[in-house]
Amino acid sequence: MADAEPRLSARGIALKAGAEPFDLDVGAGEIVGLAGLDGHGQERFIEVLAGLHAPAAGSVVSRRDGADHAVTSLRRAIAGGVAYLPRDRRATGIFPTMSIVDNFAIATVGQDRRFGLISRRERRRRYDYYRERLSIVAQQPRNAITTLSGGNQQKVLLARALAHKPDVLLLNDPTRGVDIATRQTLYAVFRELAAEGVGLVILSTEIEEMLLLCRRIVVFREQQVASTVTGDDLAAERIISIMFGRAQ
Amino acid sequence: MSAVVRSDRKGGDFGWARAAWQQAGFGPVLLVLLLAVNIAVNPARFAPGAWGTLIGLAAPLIGAALASTPAILGGRGGIDISVGPLMGFINALIVLVLVQRLGIETPWIIVPAAVLIGAAVGAGNGVLATVLRIQPIVATLGTYLILIGITLTILPAPTGTVPAWLRALGGPLSILPLTAVFLAWIAIRRLPYYDHLMAVGSDDRAAYTAGIPVTLVRFLSYVITGAFAGVAALMMTALIGSADPSIGPTYTLMAISAVALGGVSLAGGRGGLLGAAIGAIDIFLLQSALTYFNLSTFVLQIAYGVVLVLAIVLTALHERLLGRAKETA
Amino acid sequence: MMSRWTSDQWRVAGSLTVAVGLHVLGTVLIPGYSSEFSIRAMLVLASLLAIASIGQTLVVIIGGIDLSIPFLIGFANVVTAQLYGQGMNFALVCLVVVALACLVGAVNGLISSSLKLHPLIVTLGIGTIVQGTVLLWTGGFPSGSAPPALSEFVSIGGSAGVLPVPWLVPCFVVLAALIVVVLARTPYGRRVFALGSNPRAAPLALINPIAMWTITFAVSAGFAAVTGILLLGFTGSAYGEVGQPYLFQTIAAVVIGGTALVGGRGSYVGTVAGALVLTEINTLLIGLGLQPSVVQAVLGAVIVLLVSFYGRDPHVRTSI
Repeated sequence: MADAEPRLSARGIALKAGAEPFDLDVGAGEIVGLAGLDGHGQERFIEVLAGLHAPAAGSVVSRRDGADHAVTSLRRAIAGGVAYLPRDRRATGIFPTMSIVDNFAIATVGQDRRFGLISRRERRRRYDYYRERLSIVAQQPRNAITTLSGGNQQKVLLARALAHKPDVLLLNDPTRGVDIATRQTLYAVFRELAAEGVGLVILSTEIEEMLLLCRRIVVFREQQVASTVTGDDLAAERIISIMFGRAQ
Repeated sequence: MSAVVRSDRKGGDFGWARAAWQQAGFGPVLLVLLLAVNIAVNPARFAPGAWGTLIGLAAPLIGAALASTPAILGGRGGIDISVGPLMGFINALIVLVLVQRLGIETPWIIVPAAVLIGAAVGAGNGVLATVLRIQPIVATLGTYLILIGITLTILPAPTGTVPAWLRALGGPLSILPLTAVFLAWIAIRRLPYYDHLMAVGSDDRAAYTAGIPVTLVRFLSYVITGAFAGVAALMMTALIGSADPSIGPTYTLMAISAVALGGVSLAGGRGGLLGAAIGAIDIFLLQSALTYFNLSTFVLQIAYGVVLVLAIVLTALHERLLGRAKETA
Repeated sequence: MMSRWTSDQWRVAGSLTVAVGLHVLGTVLIPGYSSEFSIRAMLVLASLLAIASIGQTLVVIIGGIDLSIPFLIGFANVVTAQLYGQGMNFALVCLVVVALACLVGAVNGLISSSLKLHPLIVTLGIGTIVQGTVLLWTGGFPSGSAPPALSEFVSIGGSAGVLPVPWLVPCFVVLAALIVVVLARTPYGRRVFALGSNPRAAPLALINPIAMWTITFAVSAGFAAVTGILLLGFTGSAYGEVGQPYLFQTIAAVVIGGTALVGGRGSYVGTVAGALVLTEINTLLIGLGLQPSVVQAVLGAVIVLLVSFYGRDPHVRTSI
């Protein structure tokens, strides 16, 4: 998968005025990690990549079908093949009064239309595909989303993001509050997606998790990129010392 | 939390002005403007000698607005739309039952009776809204209909008179009941209860996890609302000098408008009685000015709606600008 | 299969049961309660209330509330009579009136959502302006009349072909079915529920809250205007205050029907059941010879009673 063209490019990004600008490219099939102490800019950056915030300087461009799409809003990001999985499942993820299948389909609800109306069969067919793929454990898709375990809720949200059929997937702390077994499933899915050519950006509070998945980890400190760690440098101690400003 | 409140108070010479601005948004600006217009066009009405009567005229609306505030401050949809009918109900009970039937004229019975009836109905609302957890607007809508129904049943048409002392509360002594409400509120603000109420209003989950008895705090806010509505009922009775079933209910929506105009957030946790009073005075002065110009009640109504919408829109825009300035700083 | 019912379906079933129960009670207690005329009257009144409550249902599901409905009913009622009385084509009149109402509703939704202001106060303010403007225009004495076809359409004595009810009733049934389909089977309908369910998650699922609020409040105002026009046919002459009873009745119908005021949950079938319940209670109490004031008090008590059975909020501790 040596695709020369990056799928998502951030150019000259400054997260706040006066911060040193940096670039980031995400290639097809690549898994990039974002690390940093809480509030040091990595979360802001993943939201900039998703088009949820405008950076103080710089721009984000996604490349799909040979054309460039400027990422200036979430809607534009999705149109350009970039999908985003939010951090706080309960606050900004699930719709607690709605069913599992509704929660899955809501962001791509236009795709289920047949003659103007939502086809339940079509919606179910789409849901079943992702249920299988992500091994979502749910008895009845029309049960409330709140009847699922945290891990399965997260899988439904991941399915919602994947339903956009993205080229780049932005994951904001995807295994937060998820049990070990589900984590393993999610890791397998992430690797599978990468093997299919999807570029992934993972923000995680757990360094071990990123070491497991990523070949490249960008470490943030004080709203700037402190260092990009690759190859043999990929070790927890090294990353932690960069996070605390003890190394470059 | 009380530390924050105190540091706000220390805002220099114009600290009180800033506090009023923060609490009431465009309410005070409007107040100054309308007051200037009113005094300019009708100095006689606003001369110091006429203040008693003037305050008496404005008092029921101010009272209704003050009464509406505590329940709203409690948040999560807290609101008491039965304040107006409750005023009418207490008005009917005082004049019809206490004065006319039982011949009781002493303030030592009538005043406590009004406050207690108010507090009792407020407690009823509180039980419905916080213990049974019926959405407050629906619960108090039920009370609203019940109170109007009972009032009209016992008092189909206006009747009766009021004792001289009560009449005086609508004229020369009109400042007394308002002062009483404010003193009561100042006392409440010094209690831990006030901090609890504001905490519950702004984030009930955090308050609950911090060990604040959320249900009790909200319940008491309805009781306070009811008790204040009792005082407002006295002010209304003093002004109209009789029992009238049709007047009380008209105060509900006006009072809620006044509260919003005074910068009290209908989402709870923000604002206070001062803002609500300013909002109510705004509405009163607006009515007063427009009536003086002999404009039809239709124009009055339009102006009232326009001012209400404009004031809350401007307050929101202003807050947004402030927020943006803070964010980029 | 019975155990598969969702709590929403139970609520709807509950309010329908109450409506039927009230009807049985009325039939037992009051002679002529189930007479053809009485049933026709109840169907017409319930249909009118249910149409006025369409908007309130949608608005409440997205997490708002619309107090401008009575003012827009009055607006449509008076303006339609006035314009038709001046010789304007009736279809054109309806179009103009409904379009104007939708515009007002759109402003309601736009202001409330873009500035995050409580819709209660916005709709109250805008409603007051609308009412004042109408009063000013007509000088407080509306004139004009309803076209005979409209009166026939809603008349209690009317009949729709072989059906012994006026055309309003079958038309309403079709309309209600449409609303149900829109809510369940269109992207708009699903987004209405999602937005009410979690306003913070909605933008991340590509739902534009401002657009949704603007459209939904416009729809609400539009159906309020339709109700106002129908009421013109029902009463025969214009009256600016005709909408006032609908202020609280639409909210009551929505809530009795099991739609939660916190948003995200509810159904239009429930609202229709709620409208039936309210109409039955009213007819029953008046039929028992109670005074209007007592009827009002009992209505208040019944609303509280019904909602305390199935419309209760969760405790704070469950939301942590």
